[in-house]
Amino acid sequence: MSQSENKKSLVGFYWTWGILTVVGVVIGLWAPGRFMPASMSGNMHLSILTIQVFTVCAAPVAAGIYAATLHNIRHDRWRGEGVPPAAEAVRGNTTLVSAWLIASSVLTVFLLVWGLGALAVDNSSTGKNPLVVDVTGQQWLWTFHYAGTDVNTTQLVLPENREVQFRITSDDVTHGFWIAQMAVQVDANAGVFTEIHTTPDKLGTFDIRCTQFCGLNHSSMVTTGEVVSPQNFQKWLTSQPATI
Amino acid sequence: MSTSTIEKTVHKGNASGGGLARRQNFLTGLVGGIIFAWLFWWIARLVGDQSSRSFSDLTATSVTLGWLFGFWLGIGALNGPFRWLIGRDQTREDQLYYAGENLGVSRYWKFTTDHKVVGVQYIVMTMVLLGAGGILAMAIRTNLITPGNHFVNQQVYNSFISMHGMLMILGMIVAVAGPWANFVVPIMVGARDMAFPRLNALSLWTLVAAAALLLTTLAVGGLPVGWVILAPITNQAGVGMDFFAMAIVVFTVSTTVAGVNTLATVVKMRTKGMTFTRLPIFVWGSIIAAALGLYAFPYFLLAEVLQLMDRNFQTSFYVASGGGTGWLQANLFWMMGHPEVYVILLPAVGAIFEIAAVMSRKPVFSYKTAVGGMVALAGLSILVWAHHMFTTGWAPTLGGPFMLTTELISIPTGIFFLVLIATMWRGNVWFRLPTLWVYGFIFDFVIGGVTGIYLSDIPIDNQFHGTMFVTAHFHYVFAGSVLFGAVAALAFWYPKVTGRFLNETMGRISFGLTFIGIQVTFISMFLSGLKGMPRRYSSYSMLFEHTNFITTIGGYTIMAGMLVLLAAVITSWKHGEASGPNPWHANSLEWMVPTPVPLENFDVLPVITEDPYNFAEKVDH
Repeated sequence: MSQSENKKSLVGFYWTWGILTVVGVVIGLWAPGRFMPASMSGNMHLSILTIQVFTVCAAPVAAGIYAATLHNIRHDRWRGEGVPPAAEAVRGNTTLVSAWLIASSVLTVFLLVWGLGALAVDNSSTGKNPLVVDVTGQQWLWTFHYAGTDVNTTQLVLPENREVQFRITSDDVTHGFWIAQMAVQVDANAGVFTEIHTTPDKLGTFDIRCTQFCGLNHSSMVTTGEVVSPQNFQKWLTSQPATI
Repeated sequence: MSTSTIEKTVHKGNASGGGLARRQNFLTGLVGGIIFAWLFWWIARLVGDQSSRSFSDLTATSVTLGWLFGFWLGIGALNGPFRWLIGRDQTREDQLYYAGENLGVSRYWKFTTDHKVVGVQYIVMTMVLLGAGGILAMAIRTNLITPGNHFVNQQVYNSFISMHGMLMILGMIVAVAGPWANFVVPIMVGARDMAFPRLNALSLWTLVAAAALLLTTLAVGGLPVGWVILAPITNQAGVGMDFFAMAIVVFTVSTTVAGVNTLATVVKMRTKGMTFTRLPIFVWGSIIAAALGLYAFPYFLLAEVLQLMDRNFQTSFYVASGGGTGWLQANLFWMMGHPEVYVILLPAVGAIFEIAAVMSRKPVFSYKTAVGGMVALAGLSILVWAHHMFTTGWAPTLGGPFMLTTELISIPTGIFFLVLIATMWRGNVWFRLPTLWVYGFIFDFVIGGVTGIYLSDIPIDNQFHGTMFVTAHFHYVFAGSVLFGAVAALAFWYPKVTGRFLNETMGRISFGLTFIGIQVTFISMFLSGLKGMPRRYSSYSMLFEHTNFITTIGGYTIMAGMLVLLAAVITSWKHGEASGPNPWHANSLEWMVPTPVPLENFDVLPVITEDPYNFAEKVDH
């Protein structure tokens, strides 16, 4: 085939596009489960699901751009000597631009609608008998106070399947309170309370890591907590020494 | 070098004559800066209240002010206004002297007003800033090669991450706009110089003064606060914080002056027939970024002035116990911080469009859509800042609206890809060095863009915020995309500056190493983030061991690539293959003037009848 015929054949482009899309979708569906911490809350399920949905939407776009670029490199590369001659001047294509704008707008609106819906679910609260935990960050330690008790501890223990409301503040600089298995995160600011809530739905240990740079030992401001059954939680809570 | 007839009649060859002012250069600036810094230090100690808890901050702030004024005086930045004040305004002869006529290489060390000299000075400044930031990056990556490694002490590490961030951001801001909005934009629009040549030199040397303050920060206690310098942790930092805040104030002066100059030049000094739709697209990228910078950087200035007031005069803008809030600082920082991303990106995008069109011998596809996309992006970018604050707890009810504005950014960003690919599609793509970096830009910008979509979504951001996922995302945008745009621009316009090609072989090796290095470094960094590794950690759990090791290896690969590029830039300057005035057979005006470009660019100002993308009827020079 001559170069000009080659340029017009888009079969290779469509194949590449298709294959790359499939690769993108497969990676997008597989990677969160493979690499992210095991989910221990509805918020985390939702985050992972949203990541997967967004990847499925983004994969064809990214794959299309890559396929077009590869096609361009393969077929439009000037192989002659010296300066390439002028190519056919295409100064615009209203149909293409409109189609592109409409397609990208539709995708964006879908992501937005999904995102706002997910945000509403993410923020929704059962409101039923939540466990309230006051979290205080200080350099470089978290302390937890269980509301309605005298329990102050550096160990966070949560009951399974009961909503927890965290009320978070800081004694000094800003810290970031994040539970890596539950996809909840908010800063601890001096002088104000910020709130997040989640419902742990799986037994086991989880990681709390400070996500806001807080000085010398920022990277040591990590700790683990545990989700236990409601009975064990009551046992644990009553066994804690009361502190002021 | 040819000079215009006017110059020849007026100029009497006097580079040796005339007073102290003609001996001024970078060295006298340095000496002046140090003397005044010392003087201000001495005065501050004399008049200051030693028992005040702000004493050291006041002293430090005085020193930085002394440095700036001394440096300005020493290098001759204030000569022009001073001569005007005493009623002896500069003669044309003086102006030609300050433009660097017949000064040879020494003009690069002076307060030279010629926009081409300033452009070259900006190339050097960009390399200094990115080089210093790169050295710190290597120190950071070396520290992170194993979980508990202590290559640098923890406090120093914390300073390094802040300084790495700031140096790289400042370096990126000037990486494309600095060299090329100065060197080529005036020629592209058919002007003899920038609208305000003295302000042009002022912007460059003020940047030098700011960079000196920024680097000095490391010597006066460092900046162990993180690069977003979030209050109130800044109150725990020593006088390094004052140096840093003043560095930003000074830097803002520099960018404002530069931005006004670029805008005024393009708006007022286009040659006959150079309508806005005939501007080379790079000019559009430059002026939109300049306008956006004028909007954005004052917030940074304000943020740091309030910071200085808190520290020096015991106000409490950011101090919770005094009724202030760190959220104020965060808002100001990100109202600058997000538009600034596009101040950085748009000149690179403009350059990429320009290079893509010339190298594929086709016009920019849908020129007006491309410009519209850039304007839309700039407009949207001022409405999205709080997506950096989704997890701060500030105004949770604004989460939805900011999510909306942020996700809309996908649309103009998508336009860029359409324009770029449609421009090159079915072109006759000339595979020279700049073209490779354009393809690298496309590859990386897709990843940088797509990963941004996840972060714009609050339920996902609640998981990813503050993790290495974010770090990897914006490094794909900056190191992966903007840096590639900057190198493409460098390879493309290097022949105009030097008359020689950037060494193609070394350039390709550099491209290979950098491209592979970027993928290895930042894909593994994404994985660290997915696994849950927070940013700015100096040591970390064994969970993140493998991905971090890979990231560090990738980082070293990028460094190797950049060193090869540096070697290419240095060796090709004198020994590269001669290029002639128009090596890419392009039509825009910068290629129509001789190389080296004469002092006043054009003997006769050209008249423009069409845009520069008609390659079919091209006339070779």
